[in-house]
Amino acid sequence: MKILVCIKQVPDMESKFKVDGAGTWYDTGDLAWRMNEYDEYGVEQAVRLKEQVGEGDITVLCIGSDKVKETMKKALAMGCDRGLHVSDDDVSAREPLQIASVIAGFAKDKGFDVIFTGMQSQDRGSGQVGVLTAEILAMPSITTIVDFAYDGGTVTAKRELEGGIKAIVKVAVPALFTCQLGLNKPRYPTLPNIMKAKKKELLSVPVADLLEADARQQTVKLYFPEKKGGGLVLEGDAPDLAAQLVQILKEKTTVLS
Amino acid sequence: MKFELSEEQSLIRETVRDFAETEIGPSAAERDEEERFDRELMFDSLAELGLTGIVFPEEYGGAGADYISYAIAVEELSRVCASTGVTLSAHLSLGANPIYLFGTEEQKQQFLTPLATGEKMGAFGLTEPAAGSDAGSTKTTAVRDGDDWILNGTKIFITNAGEAETYLVLARTDKEAQKHHGISAFIVSKETDGFSFGKKEKKLGIRSSPTMEIVFENCRIPGTNLLGAEGEGFRVAMKTLDGGRIGIASQALGIAQGALDQAVAYAKERKQFDRPITAFQGVSFQLADMATQIEASRLLVYSAAYKASAGLPYSQASAMAKLMASETAMKVTTQAVQILGGYGYTREFPVERMMRDAKITEIYEGTSEIQRLVIGNSLTR
Repeated sequence: MKILVCIKQVPDMESKFKVDGAGTWYDTGDLAWRMNEYDEYGVEQAVRLKEQVGEGDITVLCIGSDKVKETMKKALAMGCDRGLHVSDDDVSAREPLQIASVIAGFAKDKGFDVIFTGMQSQDRGSGQVGVLTAEILAMPSITTIVDFAYDGGTVTAKRELEGGIKAIVKVAVPALFTCQLGLNKPRYPTLPNIMKAKKKELLSVPVADLLEADARQQTVKLYFPEKKGGGLVLEGDAPDLAAQLVQILKEKTTVLS
Repeated sequence: MKFELSEEQSLIRETVRDFAETEIGPSAAERDEEERFDRELMFDSLAELGLTGIVFPEEYGGAGADYISYAIAVEELSRVCASTGVTLSAHLSLGANPIYLFGTEEQKQQFLTPLATGEKMGAFGLTEPAAGSDAGSTKTTAVRDGDDWILNGTKIFITNAGEAETYLVLARTDKEAQKHHGISAFIVSKETDGFSFGKKEKKLGIRSSPTMEIVFENCRIPGTNLLGAEGEGFRVAMKTLDGGRIGIASQALGIAQGALDQAVAYAKERKQFDRPITAFQGVSFQLADMATQIEASRLLVYSAAYKASAGLPYSQASAMAKLMASETAMKVTTQAVQILGGYGYTREFPVERMMRDAKITEIYEGTSEIQRLVIGNSLTR
């Protein structure tokens, strides 16, 4: 069984962010970096799938500068067999279609049975890369999975939908899955595995070798939400106020369905 | 000279930190309050991570990592729970390492491997009521009887006692010999007849780590449990403590770092006189001094760890690291309580526990006075 898991290196979300000079991304200086949380579920599921089937090869793919190799090492230490680093110092300037085209460019002739990606990245959060990759590869994709069961070529996945509803989908591999919180609890890499990760293959390929798509969208502006004023004052008599309040609760919150 | 962690060391730090914050941290205050040791949490889970044998070769069930990795692991654990840090340090450096350094191949297979994999826990029995800094005054005796030895005596203040299965015990085998000569090292297993446990100490700090008296009453152990040569015990103990000092220095470093992190976070949020107290140089200068001392301690710890892994002599380096890190931990934690003010004095915040935990690091595995003796001797010999 051949498995591909795509990960992204993102900043620690506890960091203090600043908008960069161009105003289109955050300043990447002075940040602590780690694996995108949703991608951790993908790595964990890939390793569990290999353990279940008893054989297989897991490739972890990541796009970015040399710095991302540190995060790839964690994926290798969790149980991926080899790494493919797509060297791209400008990765934050790429839009989702371009990222998907790079991944598809690598994956197209490799015969992967299962591809895992995160549901979205914690920084850009477009939620598109997994689905676009599957479309380019003409492969079915199942998004926001919170359960994954493989049995002889068929995957039964549980998807999380709006309002907490779950949907069960069955699909024959090859297929791509985007992973959501609740899918699994990622393992801590053990120390012996951290030491072994050093010896696993980690190839670097320049992004120009794989990138085929031109950008169709661009980030115009990145900014902090403007601080609004305090509360909202409602006017009117009691029944009127009650009606306004219920309307606001219905439209602006999830307190009333 | 590279002042950067390797990729593996960085990943070890990230992993142990995540693990410590998520799994160990949440119960630290409660376990301290209840004086409760949780073996599954504080030892078995470390074994699953591969920490219990981190520096030993894979052939003995270890992870084959270096002493800097060990220092990082103990620091990160101690940053949230000093009791968990010392559980690992005492197990690995004091219980297992002497067997690695001085054991025969049979002893390594029989005793070291289960300790490295974490199947068994280790402890070290040197201190006695009348033999602390003056370890050469050991009164516990081991008398030859056929192929066996019979042990009689009491050891006190033993970390991991009661829980550990394997004990490294120092006993006098030659009554005629003077002071530190005539002492030998033995491996004693928990279920041995004549080996029992005395009182559990009620302590100021590291209250989640069990500290007990161990008692030998005509305790018979096989001759194959003698570790190293007869009469070599003091040397075994001293070499063992050299490694243990790196562990305790790392524990102290972790305690200090944890306290500094708490103090900085609090000072940024706490507003007095219409501004965060970090705006006052009286506070920010204190934080600066704390951070500088911690960084200096860290470099001493890494230097000693580097030498240990490189096979270079490291007694002086580990004594310096332990001396500096422990005194820093005491200063930094006391200052952290001060910065958190009245809140810092309550058990609602962790800094008072960190301050109570820090004190022992100046005492065990060689008091600060003994460290100064070791360093002074190495300068003036």
